[in-house]
Amino acid sequence: MEYLLHIGIMLCIYIILVLSTNMTVGMANLLTLCQAAFYGIGAYIGTYFLMQFNLPFVVIALIVMLATGLTSIVISYASVKLKGDYFILGTLGFQMIIYTILYNWIDVTHGPYGIPGIPSIKLFGVWSLTSIYAYFFFSVVLAVVVALIFSRLQHSPYGRMLKAIHTDELSAQTLGRNTIQLKSWAFFISATFASLAGLIYASYVSYIDPTSFTLDESIFIITALFIGGIGSRVWGPIVGAAVVVILPELLSLIGLPNAVADNLRAVIYGIILIVLMFYRPQGLLGDAKLK
Amino acid sequence: MIVQFVINGVISGILYSLLAIGFALVYNTTKVFHIVAAAIYVFAAYMFYLFTATFGLPIIISALVAVILTMGLSLLTDVSVYRPLKKRKASNNVAMIASIGMMTVIINLLAMFFGDEAKIFDSNGSPFLLGEFIITAKQMWQLVIGAAMLILFLLFISVSNWGIRFRALSTDSMLYETLGYNNSNTRTMVFLMSGAFIAIASCLTVYDRGVDPHIGMDVLINAIVAMILGGTGRFGTCILGGISLGVLQALAIYQFSSNWQNAVTFILLLILLFLRPQGIAGYKQRTV
Repeated sequence: MEYLLHIGIMLCIYIILVLSTNMTVGMANLLTLCQAAFYGIGAYIGTYFLMQFNLPFVVIALIVMLATGLTSIVISYASVKLKGDYFILGTLGFQMIIYTILYNWIDVTHGPYGIPGIPSIKLFGVWSLTSIYAYFFFSVVLAVVVALIFSRLQHSPYGRMLKAIHTDELSAQTLGRNTIQLKSWAFFISATFASLAGLIYASYVSYIDPTSFTLDESIFIITALFIGGIGSRVWGPIVGAAVVVILPELLSLIGLPNAVADNLRAVIYGIILIVLMFYRPQGLLGDAKLK
Repeated sequence: MIVQFVINGVISGILYSLLAIGFALVYNTTKVFHIVAAAIYVFAAYMFYLFTATFGLPIIISALVAVILTMGLSLLTDVSVYRPLKKRKASNNVAMIASIGMMTVIINLLAMFFGDEAKIFDSNGSPFLLGEFIITAKQMWQLVIGAAMLILFLLFISVSNWGIRFRALSTDSMLYETLGYNNSNTRTMVFLMSGAFIAIASCLTVYDRGVDPHIGMDVLINAIVAMILGGTGRFGTCILGGISLGVLQALAIYQFSSNWQNAVTFILLLILLFLRPQGIAGYKQRTV
């Protein structure tokens, strides 16, 4: 049972993460490769506040999201106006910089040794989430709230504006919209929710090290998103997260040794990705074409 | 002391240049962000390892075999994925995602067959001394073969018939076809050459440093930075960018430590993208 709950919690974390990625890739048409960087920044800043201060969860979450959002402004200022491949390169560079900092700034991040013993979340400053059941319900609630926020966002004026940009950026510009600013906001929102996922991950696993926030992780998140589907529906990212979280567990049920199973599942993801690009470039449940 | 660092920087810059050429050949002509080059690089390294260490062939012969097999794999990525996608009028970003998929498949298949641990090549040969500076035997190979290949490439791209065709295709593929040249033949040639350059870069590097399944991405990103630094839209600029990047990284190691080498590279990339996205000597392209 606890094993199933563990999978459930990881699934919720990935749902938040993939939903946040859909904000940039699916809605704002910005193919980013640095989602794991924001995930990592959220985890490390969250860890700092969890270990140093005894604050309620909401306060820590807001601080973490705001701080990560601010770092996202730095990168979006430099890169959102870049087109296509240059934008991908800019985000890729940012991902590598963050990873290098996490890995090498040993005084602050403990580098490759990681940070053990992260305390669990305290809901209102006193009520600590100790049992795995409490964590499970907490993360499910959080994932549902995030999913609702994103599904509401689609129908808001802002969401419609992003859709207009996605369909035809030039027309949106002609009609007087500041598309660069709108895209930067999408990038900001995406980064804040990715950092929320990082915060939950850090406090749940209670140990973090830089290897969870590599470029490979970013590519993994993008893979999950494209398997599920990009665009305005929230079910796409949810299904994508479910596939990438549950498939490895199924493979280990078959009884393959761990080392082989890891590689095998990556091969399967890769093949799914290639096949999807041929027959359904928007992903299984997606409704927006990648431009 | 600093001269020793610069010498090392030039040598690693030559290796970056070779890989950057392999990437730029595909990127400039087909406009596909050819991420699978990372996996092709690792494939070449393992083929080289397989034929030297396991089958015990002489180094030169196994390197040649590795290069030929890698050219085949490179062409396969085009024929099996990029071309059919192009026929379906898929956008370049879609091709890039498919490229990521191929990279994942190839790297993990290699990891399944060869294992995740690093493989090292036997070392032999005594270091060369240039005055007070040391160049190891393997670095000498890298310097001589690498520089020779770069010079051959410069000649090829500037005067040979195929070189001119590559440049034409990278300037305007539509016009190229309109003028009656066979696009798919040229693409075949492009991917074969790209595979060859990736394989040469790979063999020269891993003979010195060994190989594990995950080295590809890091090296490829450095090579892409080298390409952007030199200038986009052209081929010869890869050499300018590669050697400047190698020297800059060597100076970063001299000044700070090798841990921060990547940070320096990517901060340079961000500054470059911000101030001069076309690179040192690139053509200024209109963004669409």
